[in-house]
Amino acid sequence: MATSTDTKTNIPDYEYLDVNTNIFHIDAFRSEWLNRLQPSDFSFQEEDQETSDAHFAAEMGISAETMDELKSACSLDSLRCHPEDQPPDPEVVPPDPTLKTLVQRKKKQDHKATLKSSKNRHDLYADELERLTFGTRPEAVTDMIPEGEIILTMNIYYPATFEKFSHVRPHLTLLMTGSHTLAELRDAICCVSDLQVCGEFSNTPDMAPDFISKDHFKSSFFYFEGVFYNDMRYPECQDISITTIEWARDRNFPPYTQAKMEDTRFVDLKVKVGFPYLYCHQGDCEHLVIITDIRLTHKNDCLDKKLYPLLTHKHRVVTTKCAVCHIYIGRWLTTNDQFAPSNPCTFCEKCFRMLHYDTEGEKLGEFQAFPYVDRGAFN
Amino acid sequence: MEPYRAAVTSDCEKLLSRFHETDSVRFQVFSKIWREMNFSQIFYGTVNHQKRAFSRLILDSAYSFFLPPFSFQIRVGGLYLLYSLHQSQTAAPPEQIRLALKDWEDVKKFEKDAMDAQHLDAIYILRQLMLKKAFHFTAMPTHLAFKKLRKKEVPALCEKFIERACRPQEFINNDLLEELSNIHELYGNLKSSVSETSKESSVNLIRQDLIPRLRRTVVDFHNWQHRKGDSEEEEGSGEGASSQQDCSRRAGLIASIKSKAYGEAPEARRSRRHRQVEVDITSSVAGTWKSPAYIRRKIASLRVRTNESLHVSDDMHKGVASASKITHLTSLGFAAEDTPNRLNGGKDRIRVPS
Repeated sequence: MATSTDTKTNIPDYEYLDVNTNIFHIDAFRSEWLNRLQPSDFSFQEEDQETSDAHFAAEMGISAETMDELKSACSLDSLRCHPEDQPPDPEVVPPDPTLKTLVQRKKKQDHKATLKSSKNRHDLYADELERLTFGTRPEAVTDMIPEGEIILTMNIYYPATFEKFSHVRPHLTLLMTGSHTLAELRDAICCVSDLQVCGEFSNTPDMAPDFISKDHFKSSFFYFEGVFYNDMRYPECQDISITTIEWARDRNFPPYTQAKMEDTRFVDLKVKVGFPYLYCHQGDCEHLVIITDIRLTHKNDCLDKKLYPLLTHKHRVVTTKCAVCHIYIGRWLTTNDQFAPSNPCTFCEKCFRMLHYDTEGEKLGEFQAFPYVDRGAFN
Repeated sequence: MEPYRAAVTSDCEKLLSRFHETDSVRFQVFSKIWREMNFSQIFYGTVNHQKRAFSRLILDSAYSFFLPPFSFQIRVGGLYLLYSLHQSQTAAPPEQIRLALKDWEDVKKFEKDAMDAQHLDAIYILRQLMLKKAFHFTAMPTHLAFKKLRKKEVPALCEKFIERACRPQEFINNDLLEELSNIHELYGNLKSSVSETSKESSVNLIRQDLIPRLRRTVVDFHNWQHRKGDSEEEEGSGEGASSQQDCSRRAGLIASIKSKAYGEAPEARRSRRHRQVEVDITSSVAGTWKSPAYIRRKIASLRVRTNESLHVSDDMHKGVASASKITHLTSLGFAAEDTPNRLNGGKDRIRVPS
């Protein structure tokens, strides 16, 4: 894909208001920004206040006294709403607030205080992932992200379940840099369907192989704007997008093209921000992929290349517990099980062995058993 | 965080409208209002893990005041607001102001305007934000996740802050009118010289009063704008003063408007109501700011409605009566449909003997 030279089309604007943008080329977008900015604007180095002030005075042609006056007029001290010697506690809503926001917040907190406390320790660590990497600098200079690099925020949604409607859209959020390839994104997406082990092992539970689906079935593709990006890194990879392409061709759809995931960097893509695209693996495990944001790097970002793709949000899935102990997450799933309260039923490793096998390890009763990885196993 | 949006916006508007009243672009004036309103407190009391989300929300809200269609003064206020909010936020790590690529030209133009007018404090603060790396240079002003809303709440734009259109007055000034009358005269002479030979009326078709009319129209427009502005301001002051008289006057006015509006709206028959056209404003893609969207009346749940219509013992009769009224609702329709039938029947009866 050649860089589009048409400048007008690469300035993102809304296609639908507050929903998604028009299509633009990411690298062209980056150069649009870089053309407009001074190198110091996006540099990671903080410029010196003194020199900047001197620059400003020279540019405006004002004297040193005027500059001092201006500085004192614009100082942050003039915004302080409390006496200097008695700083208030910023953790509590001040009494008798007049601002509507504070009135609302106070009302909410008063209401919350009347409820039974449901302390959720997960909330405390909600943006810990992002906070940990705040302003991280790499040990080696070569791992430093260059200035003016693009950072993309990707939301990868879990496959849809239509059992009941819910407003929650469980997803994980990854930060990628523009120089990453799509294959690196594929490796960063953690989905339990990659980890399942296929087969029935009720007779030989110890023999359950360690090969997970990811090792067996390596094919996958991304779909962005009319192009299927296939994973072709390994000899056993197949082109699983061809079925769709041929189907579409037979029915006079606009033609789709193909490209290789490992050869495509994000900066080469043409995308719409906020528009849903597709990631498909294991044949039919389909995830929506939305690029929610594209921006230039900032000095406060994590600047260590090695830490990317950076996970900043992961949805907490309710886990299926073992039917016996109700403590551990299920590792085995049984069907037609005469010991089980339900069909199918999940058991943790220990309860499964104790319930279904005698001391010699002989199978008791009739059932089928499948190794199982829970959706919430990696919360 | 979303529930706070309305309150945050209204707080920002309050601050900026006070700034607007001063007719100043000085930062000292802004910071005085900021202190009077204790605006720093807006961050106080946020729960730890919500601090960043709240900072994000308020910076996004303030960002919109920094852009057109607001007047220059409000945009200066918006810039000061962004600066003050960014510097006094309690979140760690701090949130940055998201500057979208499409808005960059506006920012540059703003800087130039400020430069031309020598508003040193505005330029200084913009430079200060740049220096402190307070901006994220982004594609879009917010994160977009394809959130399609069935009914979109379009924020009502604070009208007071928008600059009035003055292009017509600027364009049609005295020089232009003079020039135009000259050309008009020349053109008329030329026409008459041609039409001397051939006395065709079609050549004579020139508007004699073009210039005075143009002038009158522009003056009318200007007067109309002023009148509109005055009435708006009056309303604004009415809101501020809480005297009983004012309130009752306003209430009366609103009531009369409402009664007019409801009285005039033709109500469709209940059976036809589902076929009424609902104007779908949300589907139009046009500009960022639109008139307040159509808001659907919330219909109470079935249980609530049942409880309302079912009464205990004494009210039983009433309940029955109101329930049976449902048949009455269509009576008008029946009557309308019946009349022509009866007429027809009458005719037939007349015709048969003949």
